[in-house]
Amino acid sequence: MWRRSASFILDERRSSNSPPMADTTRGGPFQNPDAISAYYQTRAAHHGVITSDWLAQAQAAVGGVSGEEQTVSPAAESGADKTFNVIEEFNGWRKQPDLAEAVAAIRALAAVIRASEATTMMELEIELKKASDTLKSWDKTSISLTAGCDLFIRYVTRTSALEYEDFNSAKSRLLERAEKFGEISCKARKIIAMLSQDFIFDGCTILVHGLSRVVLEILKTAAQNNKLFRVLCTEGRPDGTGVLLANELSKLDIPVKLLLDSAVAYSMDEVDMVFVGADGVVESGGVINMMGTYQIALVAHSMNKPVYVAAESYKFARLYPLDQKDMAPALRPIEFGIKIAAKVEVERSARDYTPPQYLTLLFTDLGVLSPSVVSDELIQLYL
Amino acid sequence: MPDVQSTVLEFVNKLRKRKIEGSQATARCTVELLRSVISQHRVPHANQASALIDAVKAVGEQLVAANPVELAVGNVVRRVLHIIREEDLSLTTAAMGGLDLLDASDDDEDVCNKGIGYPAMSAAVVAAAARSTLRPPSLQTLLEGTPESATVPYTSSSGADSESKTADKSSITRKLKHDVIESVNQLIHEIAGCHEQIAEQAIEHIHQNEVILTLGSSRTVLEFLCAAKEKKRSFRVFVAEGAPRYQGHLLAKELVARGLQTTVITDSAVFAMISRVNMVIIGAHAVMANGGVIGPVGVNMAALAAKKHAVPFVVLAGCHKLCPLYPHNPEVLLNELRSPSELLDFGEFSDCLDFGAGSGSPLLQVVNPTFDYVPPNLVSLFITDTGGHNPSYMYRLIADYYSADDLVM
Repeated sequence: MWRRSASFILDERRSSNSPPMADTTRGGPFQNPDAISAYYQTRAAHHGVITSDWLAQAQAAVGGVSGEEQTVSPAAESGADKTFNVIEEFNGWRKQPDLAEAVAAIRALAAVIRASEATTMMELEIELKKASDTLKSWDKTSISLTAGCDLFIRYVTRTSALEYEDFNSAKSRLLERAEKFGEISCKARKIIAMLSQDFIFDGCTILVHGLSRVVLEILKTAAQNNKLFRVLCTEGRPDGTGVLLANELSKLDIPVKLLLDSAVAYSMDEVDMVFVGADGVVESGGVINMMGTYQIALVAHSMNKPVYVAAESYKFARLYPLDQKDMAPALRPIEFGIKIAAKVEVERSARDYTPPQYLTLLFTDLGVLSPSVVSDELIQLYL
Repeated sequence: MPDVQSTVLEFVNKLRKRKIEGSQATARCTVELLRSVISQHRVPHANQASALIDAVKAVGEQLVAANPVELAVGNVVRRVLHIIREEDLSLTTAAMGGLDLLDASDDDEDVCNKGIGYPAMSAAVVAAAARSTLRPPSLQTLLEGTPESATVPYTSSSGADSESKTADKSSITRKLKHDVIESVNQLIHEIAGCHEQIAEQAIEHIHQNEVILTLGSSRTVLEFLCAAKEKKRSFRVFVAEGAPRYQGHLLAKELVARGLQTTVITDSAVFAMISRVNMVIIGAHAVMANGGVIGPVGVNMAALAAKKHAVPFVVLAGCHKLCPLYPHNPEVLLNELRSPSELLDFGEFSDCLDFGAGSGSPLLQVVNPTFDYVPPNLVSLFITDTGGHNPSYMYRLIADYYSADDLVM
């Protein structure tokens, strides 16, 4: 309801004519994937955060409601069998906490190739394109999903044109590459951890926001290399990422301090650098990440602290948000612990966009890049 | 080989005693030395390139250790290594294209699959795959293969060579050295001619009736300004003297000798005079991978002043000054501390200066750094011999000139 314009009274009049917002459909997230971002739901599930929503689902599941997935796909699907496979497959892979989103997507597409009965490259490409579109439309909010699908389709198109005369060998090669991608993803994390070691010096204080597996890998490697540093982590409401990260780090004997999200500016003067992960890296070189990243980047920038983003290269997406509201909305239920009056609205967006001028460097498996390199890489890939 | 060893040792001594002044001279001497190392190195038939690379790396390590502050040495060594890799690659692809292709492979998996009767791929495919190993990793190559396969093309090229029956084999292997030496000669030529290349662009940047500010003395800046003067631009130059060496005085003399109107100011006056200046031009000691500049002490101050008053800050740097390392890298020595005698007279201050063993009198310490670091957001433009570039473009030049494998020496 709160649109961009300051004249919200006009908006109210206008919006009273349009269909009601997703607030009313809280009970069935799978029935309305656009309202509540499945991507962030999955993440919350990984982190074991219990919300009233989740409890409701659990009760429904126990109550014997049959396969929710059947209500999943929007009407656009033909070939009902194939598309169900893709989304189910994807959800299956996505549930593993250690697997990156893009890897799950590519594994799902690999399953499509395996199950496909196509006999020519063109046919296979068309099937893949359809499957990829289905996946993308099912969860519009996940950027890594979109980026992973695009990357794989691009690779298929380019490979098939050049290399193989024999269809079966091409197919097997694609399958093998798709399966290898999981390894690439793990290797990417290791490469990023290695590249960033030089930037962590003894006695430094690192501020971390969100629970990124890549950043965790970086800190783990630094601890293994016997570097002395301490970490401040933000609480990360509503996901509670701060507590999880703090627990992980204390297992590694790294001194950790938890901060309220609002205490970032208060503590920024004792911070030497900020490390964040990314849900997606956009064409301008900015990043889309958990809500709160933009705030932290602004504070760090005003106090001349470097902000480093650790992201694998397959998260580069062909998006160019011009401001915060320029992306597909990804909403997430937020618990306040006490009852809120009915008329009070809650800003439930799960993520924000940090423009490139507030970021210092991006650590990717392609090397240490400045934000302007991202568009270069994307152009090379898509042109 | 013994005479090469002695020349290397001689050069290492010269570097350690700082007998060679200036990055251009150092870079040139280093390249010439490496060229003689390469030409006199006896290479085996197989794995030629790796033998050359190892030889150059061994010498390079010694040179960098002798003078770690002069980053041009390391840069030039890495350039030569990149040249060797490139030449080897182009020879390999030429060889592949000419010969009948057997099971030449580009991936570790294919090596395993050899026995299963993996179909032979066209020469174009192998060339493309081999090319991808030399390109820096990118999104395009992400799904194609792992970087570990970089070593496989070397063995596979020699493998293919040994399996071929043509008599070109020995001539191809001899060609590598020849090609490398040719490219190295080109590099020397480039380094020698960098001043002229940069000076050619002066006319586009300096306009009529402008006021230019510079700091200290740089030969590149001198040539740059004189080139603009030749083309009949009339402008004035403010020279900040660059204490404590006062090299600005020398530059001012040179400029006046060439007919330019010059004003000498103290370093502390930079902020006072910056509002009357149209452009700041300085020469760099080195340019880092993030676009940051290492220059004579005082340039950071000039850069901050320029930023505050929205004056363009232009940095001139020859290609041998581009360093692929980041300033946070512990291998990069950002500064060298020179003798305190440049600042304070020993005679006058002998009772205060700290000569070691505590004598009870008040201790006075003198710090005399040579260099200054300017972060990339303060720089407006880099002018290299290839043209004018944005600081955020530096990564591109570095990817062109250097290979990722050579970063750690």
